[in-house]
Amino acid sequence: MSFLEVEPGAAGESLLLTTDTSQPFDDEQMSSSLEEIKRDGKPKETDESNNENISNVNNYDENSSPVQTDNEENELIQDKKWALMDKHIFVLSLAGKPIYSRFGNEDKLAWLFGVMQTLVSFIQSNEDDLLSISAAGVNFVFAIKKPLILVAVSRKQESVPQLQSQLNYIYNQIASILTTSKLIKIYEQRQNYDLRRLLSGVERLINHLLDFCESEPAFLLKAVQCLSLSSSVRGNISSAIISSCSKIKNIVFAILLANNKLITLVRMKKYSLHPSDLHLIFNLVQATESFKTGESWAPICLPRFDSSGFLYGYVSYLAEDCQACLLLLTVEREVFHTLAEAKQRIVEKLRRNNCLEAINDSLAKPDLSCVSSGFIEVRHYLYKAKSTAQFYQPSVSPPYNKYPQVLSNMYKRLHQRLHCPARPLKLFFERRATEAIFAWDTVGFELYIIFEPLVETSNVVAIITRLLNWMKEREDNLFHLHVPTF
Amino acid sequence: MSEKLFKNNSTYRFPEVEHSYAKPAEMDPERQKENIKDTIEGIINFTGTFGVNSDITSLHTQKTRQLFLEVEKNFWMVMILNIPTVTKVKDGASTVEYLEDDIQDKVYESVLRQTYLMYRLFWNTFQHTLDKDGLDALKTRLEQFYSAYLKTLKLAHADILNIFCGIQYLPLDKLTFLKVQCLINSLECDFPKILQTAFLYNDHLIWSGVEPSDMQILYQYLVGTLLPANLEVELQGGSMPRNSLSPFGALKHGRFITGPTNLKNAKTIGKALSASLCLFVNADTELTLDFFKDFDNYINSKLTSLVSEIAEYCSKQVSTPSNVVENAPKFIYFNKFNMAYKSTVHLDNKQSGNVAISSEQLKIIADLNSHTPTISESTETMVKTLNDYWVVAKTSNYREFYVVEQLKNAHLIDISKDIKSLCESELKGIFFQPL
Repeated sequence: MSFLEVEPGAAGESLLLTTDTSQPFDDEQMSSSLEEIKRDGKPKETDESNNENISNVNNYDENSSPVQTDNEENELIQDKKWALMDKHIFVLSLAGKPIYSRFGNEDKLAWLFGVMQTLVSFIQSNEDDLLSISAAGVNFVFAIKKPLILVAVSRKQESVPQLQSQLNYIYNQIASILTTSKLIKIYEQRQNYDLRRLLSGVERLINHLLDFCESEPAFLLKAVQCLSLSSSVRGNISSAIISSCSKIKNIVFAILLANNKLITLVRMKKYSLHPSDLHLIFNLVQATESFKTGESWAPICLPRFDSSGFLYGYVSYLAEDCQACLLLLTVEREVFHTLAEAKQRIVEKLRRNNCLEAINDSLAKPDLSCVSSGFIEVRHYLYKAKSTAQFYQPSVSPPYNKYPQVLSNMYKRLHQRLHCPARPLKLFFERRATEAIFAWDTVGFELYIIFEPLVETSNVVAIITRLLNWMKEREDNLFHLHVPTF
Repeated sequence: MSEKLFKNNSTYRFPEVEHSYAKPAEMDPERQKENIKDTIEGIINFTGTFGVNSDITSLHTQKTRQLFLEVEKNFWMVMILNIPTVTKVKDGASTVEYLEDDIQDKVYESVLRQTYLMYRLFWNTFQHTLDKDGLDALKTRLEQFYSAYLKTLKLAHADILNIFCGIQYLPLDKLTFLKVQCLINSLECDFPKILQTAFLYNDHLIWSGVEPSDMQILYQYLVGTLLPANLEVELQGGSMPRNSLSPFGALKHGRFITGPTNLKNAKTIGKALSASLCLFVNADTELTLDFFKDFDNYINSKLTSLVSEIAEYCSKQVSTPSNVVENAPKFIYFNKFNMAYKSTVHLDNKQSGNVAISSEQLKIIADLNSHTPTISESTETMVKTLNDYWVVAKTSNYREFYVVEQLKNAHLIDISKDIKSLCESELKGIFFQPL
């Protein structure tokens, strides 16, 4: 088609690591970036940070009372409401110890965790692996990621690969608190270890992550949305961050975000950030109210960046009058005050350049809806620029503003149809009584559009061309096309 | 009786050369049965915890697909399929990749259901046999039935048609159709022993007095097993019918085949030229030689003249091959109400894999079928495959229509026009509300 050249949001170099979307969910290929960065800086004894908690493992003993099974257990089985929840998520150890359940108390569900472990090991005893079960529209998906087993039971219209990807996120969320190497070490030492001791407070993050996964198209698309800002403002913000941090060693990433959207990301030249790591950071910021009350210092492991160790994060909102959150991630453990000073300098510069105002303006002004940008036949769309792993969506307008679930289910179904691992499709167009939906996967972008049901097929092509051109004209605003580095 | 019975543990291999198929470790049959029983109990109990109550459950493991079908209360049939694999060599190391999506649940679920229904057609329910003759008799019967039946399954070529399990009808003009009906009515009147009749011509159904859902299975049996088997006997020069009950083997056109006498309603088939009459009589009724003689005298002349009329009509209808374009779109049509299907994708109805489109396109059709939320609604779906072919699905009022366009690099708008004209020419007056 002739309009293939128009690729809004494409760039030769990408801010974020881009993923091959044909992979149903990406695994492994973790680098050991941390070591490298530290060696480039001042040499340092490394392993201690990973080991410091492990020595404590043995102190936690099993003398805490074993799981009580009482009559309530039966009540729970009877509890139909629990059984029929839209989506259950369970995390357990390979030995069958409960770690997390989205609904219900893990201890009372201990028997169920036992059942799941038995199923997994029963299939394994036949030199095979349990992947999924489906019956009556319910998908049961198993992910065995040593040393954990993750299980999803979903009544939602989500495909098995989509659920696998969500389980992968949960595993990464746990790894981001403990690091993968520590997780493995713990279970090497004690197969029966109760991981919940180390994960207090993480439940909240996982719960939030799950809601987040279900509602945000970012997870489906493996991409991030940027806050609309003119490229000069975005450039000013980036250079304010660079100049304020230029004297500080070993800052790997500086991230400024607001309202689930990226404002800017400055990174060390050699290292880039994977969207799934950035999603974990978004989740952390969203789910942690206490960041709003002051400056914080937190160890964060970014599993796709380096799953074996921590980065240290300085987290603070910019100012009382600007609700954008700044994260400075470094490999140094003791530089809180240096970074706090750097933040002060950044805020001052931004204030002087009127950047805070620009951010606030953009936050206050919602994105255009399709109708107000002149596309009356279009109800909503998602556009992902593959080369930069960024996406854009207009604001949700009627009839979906009251039923966001309908919209996100539709996109999930579309995405699933387009990316069926064995038989991917290039284009998908479906007309039904309620809407006409279109999905297109090209070399440069993915586009998902919900049309009014009566749109003419001959018009569809013209509208898409117009839409791509419309985004192309505004690409400096809608996407972050430069790659600022320290 | 809570004992569960595990049947039909079949594994299969595809014939393709580039695929290799892992075989599960050899296990002795008793242990294997135990193993299957444990799996099914574990899985069903587990899913039951979440209020799932379904007669069909599909278990995906890396190496196998297992379908559990509760065919009757407490009776489960299990089908275990090996996942096809390809071996990929990368940097000198070869890795085995499992092609999970090559096996489409809905297709094999339908195969499994049909496997049961076919048994029931001949032997009634499992429970019935169990109550009447006991467990050992049931086991023997199953063994006998399935050891023969499973050989006729062409699992490697199972596709969308297995989901439909449809019937091919022969369209006739009014007058000829009325003549067929007239013959059947007078037949049933003059031979009160005959309860129902079905009339087939060249494997196409013209008239059936049997319930559609029964006819659906019966049709598969007639077209898939009984008629071809006898045709082969004929071709091998054996002019005697399989069942030598009938002395008419030497007759010019007609012959009788009697179905297995244990069929709920015993069945007899008379065949003349390309037509088959399928007669249903009560199983208790004794069919004597005299009955066959009378019947033959009665039907022979009438049937012969009717059949030649049908043949004449059909020859006029066959589109002259010259106007069939090489790259003409191929289509499959199915109507859920009368189970009618028509396919120009399949070049024969023997499920031999003789198809006019690629297996990928055929699988996409089944994908489209499985993903259409409801077929009562009017929908139109157009998809472009990775190698630039188009597949289109239309549903409306329980009718389904799938088209594979053989044009490469066509435009969405062209395809949309093509489909419109194809509907116009092939489905005129049938159903589609204009979308």
